[in-house]
Amino acid sequence: MTWYDSFLQQLVDGLVLGSFYALVALGYTMVFGVIKLLNFAHGDLYMTGAFAGFGGLSLVSGFLGAGWLGIFVAMLLAMLAVGCLGVVIERVAYHPMLGAPRLSILITALAVSLVLQNAALALTGGQYTAFRTDLGFGGFNLGNLFLSHNQIVLVATAAVLMIALELFVSRTLYGRAMRAVSIDKDMCRMMGINVSAVIAVTFFIGSGLAAAAGTMAGAYYGSIWYFMGFLIGLKAFTAAVIGGIGSITGAMLGGLILGLLESFGTHIPFIGSEWKDVFTFSILILVLVFKPTGLLGKSEVERM
Amino acid sequence: MGKFLKLIASAAVVNLAAGSLAMAQDGPITIGVQVPTTGSEATYGKDMYNAMMLAADEINADGGLLNGRQIELVTGDTACDPQQSVNAASRLASQEVVGVVGGYCSGATQPTLKTYGDANIPFVIVAANSTQLIPANPGNAVMINSTGDDQAKTALEFFEGKDIEKLAIVNQGDAYSQDLANLTRDAWTGAGHTVSAFEYVNKGEQDFSALVNKIRGSGAEAVFWTAYYADGGLLIRQLRQRGFQGTIAVGDGSNSPELFNIAGQAAEGVFAFSNPTADFLPAAKQFTSDYESRFGNAPGPYAPLAYDGMQLMAWAIDKAGSTDGDAIIKALNSADGQEWLAGPISFTPQHTLARSNFVVLEGQGGKWTRYEE
Amino acid sequence: MDRHSPPTRPDTHEPRPRNPLQRLYAAFESPGRRRALHLAIIAILIITPWISSQYTTVILTNALLYVVLCLGLNIVVGYAGLLDLGYAAFFAVGAYTIGILTQQFGVNFWAAIPFALMAAALAGVIIGGPTLRLRSDYLAIVTLGFGEIVRFTARNLEITGGASGLSHIPEPSLFGWHIDSSIDFYYVFVVLAVLAYIASQRLFDSRLGRAWLYVRHDEDAAEAMGINRVATKLAAYVIGAIFGAIGGIFFSVNLGAISPESFSFQQSVLILLAVVLGGMGKIPGVILGAFIVVLGPELLRDFGTLRLLIFAVLLLLIMLFRPSGIWPEKRS
Repeated sequence: MTWYDSFLQQLVDGLVLGSFYALVALGYTMVFGVIKLLNFAHGDLYMTGAFAGFGGLSLVSGFLGAGWLGIFVAMLLAMLAVGCLGVVIERVAYHPMLGAPRLSILITALAVSLVLQNAALALTGGQYTAFRTDLGFGGFNLGNLFLSHNQIVLVATAAVLMIALELFVSRTLYGRAMRAVSIDKDMCRMMGINVSAVIAVTFFIGSGLAAAAGTMAGAYYGSIWYFMGFLIGLKAFTAAVIGGIGSITGAMLGGLILGLLESFGTHIPFIGSEWKDVFTFSILILVLVFKPTGLLGKSEVERM
Repeated sequence: MGKFLKLIASAAVVNLAAGSLAMAQDGPITIGVQVPTTGSEATYGKDMYNAMMLAADEINADGGLLNGRQIELVTGDTACDPQQSVNAASRLASQEVVGVVGGYCSGATQPTLKTYGDANIPFVIVAANSTQLIPANPGNAVMINSTGDDQAKTALEFFEGKDIEKLAIVNQGDAYSQDLANLTRDAWTGAGHTVSAFEYVNKGEQDFSALVNKIRGSGAEAVFWTAYYADGGLLIRQLRQRGFQGTIAVGDGSNSPELFNIAGQAAEGVFAFSNPTADFLPAAKQFTSDYESRFGNAPGPYAPLAYDGMQLMAWAIDKAGSTDGDAIIKALNSADGQEWLAGPISFTPQHTLARSNFVVLEGQGGKWTRYEE
Repeated sequence: MDRHSPPTRPDTHEPRPRNPLQRLYAAFESPGRRRALHLAIIAILIITPWISSQYTTVILTNALLYVVLCLGLNIVVGYAGLLDLGYAAFFAVGAYTIGILTQQFGVNFWAAIPFALMAAALAGVIIGGPTLRLRSDYLAIVTLGFGEIVRFTARNLEITGGASGLSHIPEPSLFGWHIDSSIDFYYVFVVLAVLAYIASQRLFDSRLGRAWLYVRHDEDAAEAMGINRVATKLAAYVIGAIFGAIGGIFFSVNLGAISPESFSFQQSVLILLAVVLGGMGKIPGVILGAFIVVLGPELLRDFGTLRLLIFAVLLLLIMLFRPSGIWPEKRS
């Protein structure tokens, strides 16, 4: 392989990884936008989504098969289920806390994360579950560049979801309300916007996207377990912040950048892949030092 | 503030007192099980606990120990964290357990050696096998898992037998897999060969595409995965998906049949270094089927050792003829090389396993078979 | 407003204490009673190991370690209002500096302490420096990143023992007293927790404490009032780091072995959780929080795998019923 081929391969792989991060980061950023909460339970919704998708697939695989069609339907089911779960969590755990100090809601989110994780541990007995599908390993070889069918479907699905979200937020009434709520909740309330409903919709969409990512990750990589949300939650959080937390385009951009950073970080000459994460976090800190609000974030005055 | 401090303290005292009344001369024999049952390592911990429960139930069904006394297990969850481990160990010690079986994460097992040493409690270390445990052992503990040295030697011989020159070694950044990776690297370069890639992955990371590209780009003829089956299964899948044709071998943390569940077809022709487990001993076959029918999944990599550990403890209590710590420790150290599930057990003066009987397995038709060169 | 006058501080008298703890605490209003209360607490702490099991001693030692760590983080989060998700890094710096110096270079434990403190202070400056411009959410991720960088570095380097960490860290002696039993360490941590308590109280009442209050309240106004924002925030990081390092120093000799697992993101989160749960900025609240996060999961051990699930549900309920923490600070 020439360095050029290798570069292209890293680019492609980084984009695939990045689209997962982006989907999860979107939920983070949307929730942050409307209620200024770093939803630490978001990674665990991704995990829940993976299990919901697994359940959904075993439900539909009988008549739709376990190919992309079955997975797609399972993904929609998982999005619906986890979307509702997200709304319930918001109602039960976050809604009563909206007047409390922001750090308190953060701790509540941590508690929710622990609840989801340990509930999944108890339900699955801690076992890794094989996510069996009929997806093959096939793909295209463009010179030395390898692109699997699965990667193409994945990135396309992620792109469709993101474009749909972008259209929803920019073109629909609810989307406009969502943006308004993220700017000034009280003013929205006075203008007759049903703020609670807007927050609920935001949680539904954010959680649904995490579930979509979870199902796709399960199908693509082939195994799921109760702790799988932790690392990606951390990374999606990082991605959302790099992009500028609260900014939807920023989350997509941040996800892709993080995916690329990790992909190329494995290949830095002279130092081994054990320093990959140190490299990623150092870049993150540098970005924030020079651009304190992330790449696309707006600066705002805030108090704890 | 004093009031509630006192409240909490007294609550704790009450809680403990309740636990420590249990021991009587004719009552059940309490054995502590020290494994992670929460946190990211709970998968392996539960696996070990299940195997030990199976062993204890079998012994109890056979009439128990010391004239019909039943074994009762109490769990000390370590969460794989050193401090929590010490808490769990002190609790087991305060509950006056007769012995302790377990120990999964080396880092979390090490500080507990002192706790059990001070209380003179016999401790059978089942899985943890870092060489750092050896000098920290006050003499009351025995290690029934071979240390990384033996396995590195097996790996060296195996890869040399396959005429490999460039080897890629991948570990997971935990004590066990990093230790094995370092030892193998040293052995491999010491024998004049090349380590073309020496890589780390994080536990729970699912995407290894960049790593696979790097391994392929390094011209490695073989890959040695030194960590556990869950992430190993994903790595094997992705290596084969991306057309890696070379030899793939995994360490004993990955020799679980569950590897085939996760890696699927890609695990065919993968080699594993292992104690002669499951399918090779009649007793082990029985164990595997009992385990599967009771818990609904295949026994994990340390299940046979955990089962052996409990059986060994029971054997030692029986041999000692009492629940006295010194007598049991003496009995443990006198283990005479009889056959257990994972092979014969006898100990060196350092209380580590005396033999190395690593064998090479090969994945064929969705299960491990003995590989003969 | 005169530039030296502090913002209005409600007197320590709380008009209507809302929960039994506060009512109890309020009963010890006068300095004399307060002193009696303190003496009583110290007496209880001294007697406890003699009337309880070794297990109780061990978990109380652990709780006292958390008291030190939580009071340290409280300075950063509660006093100065800076969100820190990587506090375990300072804990790690203290522990590893001691481990490396005593075990690998044979330096005497007490002689190594100043180096550990300096290393932690330096780490505080390194993390504090670039982050001073950042608002809280960005601060959260930068501190998180810093914590992970420290942990990965400890895992990757040879001198830190890699993933296995360092073992056989020698136990210290003090004037011929060899500190090695669990009771010895218990008393060491009692002393540390008391010192941390006194230091926290003094800092709270100091000029610096008032500067933190200003900055937390309104950074720009504080600056306009002549408070050096940069120095004030840095001071919080450095002092917090030193508390963390002191915890780490004695943690490492207590366990005799340290490994990267002890300094994970979850560790940082647990310390933060204790601080917020107890009541940010309120010393007795933070101490209560430290005891809850250590003793809670211990008291639930009988529930096996479910113990963290139950603990998490309890946490959730506590936060829902007391959103500002169990025992919040009133003066903000």
